[in-house]
Amino acid sequence: MAGVGLSATDAPRVAVWRDVRILRGALQVGFVVGVVALGVWLVSNLTTNLDRLGIRSDFEFLGAPAGFRILGSDFEASGTIREALIVGITNSIRVAVIGMILALLLGIVVGVARLSQNWLIARVASGFVELLRNVPPLVLVIVFYQVTLEVLPRIQDAAVSNGFLFSNRGVWIPWVTLGEGSRTYLAVLLAGLAAAIVVARARRARFERTGEPARAGLLATATFLVVAGVGWLVLDPPITPSLPVLDGRLVEGGASLYPEYLSLLLAMVLYTASFIAEIVRGSIQAVPKGQTEAADALGLSPGQRLRQVTLPQALRIAAPATGNEFLNLTKNVSLGVAVGYAELLRVAQTATGNGQPAPQSLSLVLLGYLTLSIIISLVVNVANRRLQLVER
Amino acid sequence: MRKRNVRLASVALAAGLVLAACGGEEEAAEAPAESTESGSEETVTVEPAQDGGSLLAAVQERGTLKCGVNTGLPGFAAPEGDTYVGFDADYCRAIAAAVLGDAEAIEWIPLSASARFTALQSGEIDVLIRNTTWTATRDGSEGASFAVTTFYDGQGMLVDTDSGFDSISDMAGTTVCVQAGTTTELNLETYFAAAGLAYEPLVFEDNDQLQEAYYAGRCDGWTSDLSQLAAFRGTWPAEQGGTESVKILSDVMSKEPLGPLTSDGDTEWFDVVQWVTFATIQAEEFGITQGNVDSLVASTDPEANPGIGRFLGLVADFDPGLGLDAEWAVRVIQAVGNYSEIYERNVGPDTALGLPRGVNSLWTEGGLLYAPPFR
Repeated sequence: MAGVGLSATDAPRVAVWRDVRILRGALQVGFVVGVVALGVWLVSNLTTNLDRLGIRSDFEFLGAPAGFRILGSDFEASGTIREALIVGITNSIRVAVIGMILALLLGIVVGVARLSQNWLIARVASGFVELLRNVPPLVLVIVFYQVTLEVLPRIQDAAVSNGFLFSNRGVWIPWVTLGEGSRTYLAVLLAGLAAAIVVARARRARFERTGEPARAGLLATATFLVVAGVGWLVLDPPITPSLPVLDGRLVEGGASLYPEYLSLLLAMVLYTASFIAEIVRGSIQAVPKGQTEAADALGLSPGQRLRQVTLPQALRIAAPATGNEFLNLTKNVSLGVAVGYAELLRVAQTATGNGQPAPQSLSLVLLGYLTLSIIISLVVNVANRRLQLVER
Repeated sequence: MRKRNVRLASVALAAGLVLAACGGEEEAAEAPAESTESGSEETVTVEPAQDGGSLLAAVQERGTLKCGVNTGLPGFAAPEGDTYVGFDADYCRAIAAAVLGDAEAIEWIPLSASARFTALQSGEIDVLIRNTTWTATRDGSEGASFAVTTFYDGQGMLVDTDSGFDSISDMAGTTVCVQAGTTTELNLETYFAAAGLAYEPLVFEDNDQLQEAYYAGRCDGWTSDLSQLAAFRGTWPAEQGGTESVKILSDVMSKEPLGPLTSDGDTEWFDVVQWVTFATIQAEEFGITQGNVDSLVASTDPEANPGIGRFLGLVADFDPGLGLDAEWAVRVIQAVGNYSEIYERNVGPDTALGLPRGVNSLWTEGGLLYAPPFR
């Protein structure tokens, strides 16, 4: 530090090229210039080469008709490439979001089970973890796909029961058809939800003030049901149930879960759950022993101890690491390519295979997954901040 | 502390400068490299005119033909020991026989679909015979010249024999497995949309996954090039019912003409490749086969039969100026036989592929094969 002090006091005697502050500044400027120059060079190189090969480097192809169809969507061949890519990323999100929810639930259950004092439960849970986390996810996806195709009956022998239809072309579940007034009805439902929240708040405020029993949940639910019921009667059932019906090799009605989707989702959930289980286990063990002892001293049952004392603290510890697993899951969705699931990468590859420019298509895939990951990252960070213990 | 900072700063600054300089330098270096590249391209195109040798002379001097083939496609180019067998491979042999007098003087260069044009442009191979579809874009912008088509392929549909489908028009409401590739999905959509048929496409990157899905009944049809479908049908595993359990519908959804390619700008070499291909077609038209070519050479009277005489190199003053000796066509037929023999041996009805001649018949039999006259 003496050196810096010296240069500060005897500034005139230090040459410019030896002044640390100037050098530091120059270093940073130089670095930025270097990075920008490299970037400019790479981009100009790419565009030059594309021009020479007669390949377009703009994004106008996004507005061109796609010319192909996408399995499991209403996308028509006359739709644009942009719409096709949006279908692709929607499909990616469908696996990622549902996968995250299921993986989290399963991961917590397995993580807790690993610490069970029941020998069998603990062994089964650790077997689950060791088996799944040590297999590459691509292998899991392919294996589950084969199994789904083999286990479910062919479409000709499809099993139909209670509105469900099972075949290896997909599993169809009862669904609803939205009628004309359905949008208005959705607004009614949202209004009902808002009314319910208002009621709940008012009841809670009254409880704070007077100490009367709030019954917030009960009254809020009642409010919602009344609004929903009145809306239903006024708008005349805008929503009708739709059951799958087999017609030759086509299934009409219902909602379908394709084997490609099922096997990818299953692989993602099980693979990620095995990691989350380990995080949960570690986090539970990281809760100070004193907390457990205190809970015991208060006479809480083991179940209460887990739910009220250990888990709330463990999940706080687990949150950041679990966020990482969510990111991994989202990125692994691109493995759906192997089984023909139409996620973003599959759609982009179909487009490039049919004459659309590869550099732009693939950079959009990059951007799509990057955006998804960043959004998840942000959500996890916000959740993490809100979960943190507020120390007073 | 201060010294260290200064040193650190100067190192980093130097690194930054080098980085920046690198960008500049390489950019600068790239421009001349590019110009020399285009320059050398020009010289390549000019060279043949200067010394009259072109690739033909280079190949003859080298003593081997560098032939680019598929890495493995049964019936067309499949590795067997050190060599390749198949329809495409036989055309490599035919060229080697004509140019070098030895049908086995070939350096086999297996190429992936994405590497093939680069290999041709860079001169890594002399000729590319790798089931490559002739399209305007490829002809125009890949720096390649397509010689006459040796195999008229098209996108077809493979279905179960007991499926009850006799043509694509029966396939309303089905799921079709698609092998991802150039325009496969587009052809499928165009064809089904034109026929007004509802269907669902299931696209696979990988053939093995597609085949497993088809076995399991995930899809009703499998679409790809007819020749490829025939190859898969020919090797259909017995535990899945064997070859007879699947059939290929007669509908053809697209035009896929396949043939040999040479590099742009070398017309002399292109002519040689072109006429070797024509020779196999012309031989079939003349009825010249691997079995009778030697006896025909001995017995043909060029006076009475000038057409066959010229083909066999028996007419003394006939030289088409291809830069080859008089007996080149004879050597081609001795080595691989005529078109019909090449076809029947590799992909015809008696092979595993079992492809009927169809449009790949002589023009005299209603097909598309037509060789210009040898005179």
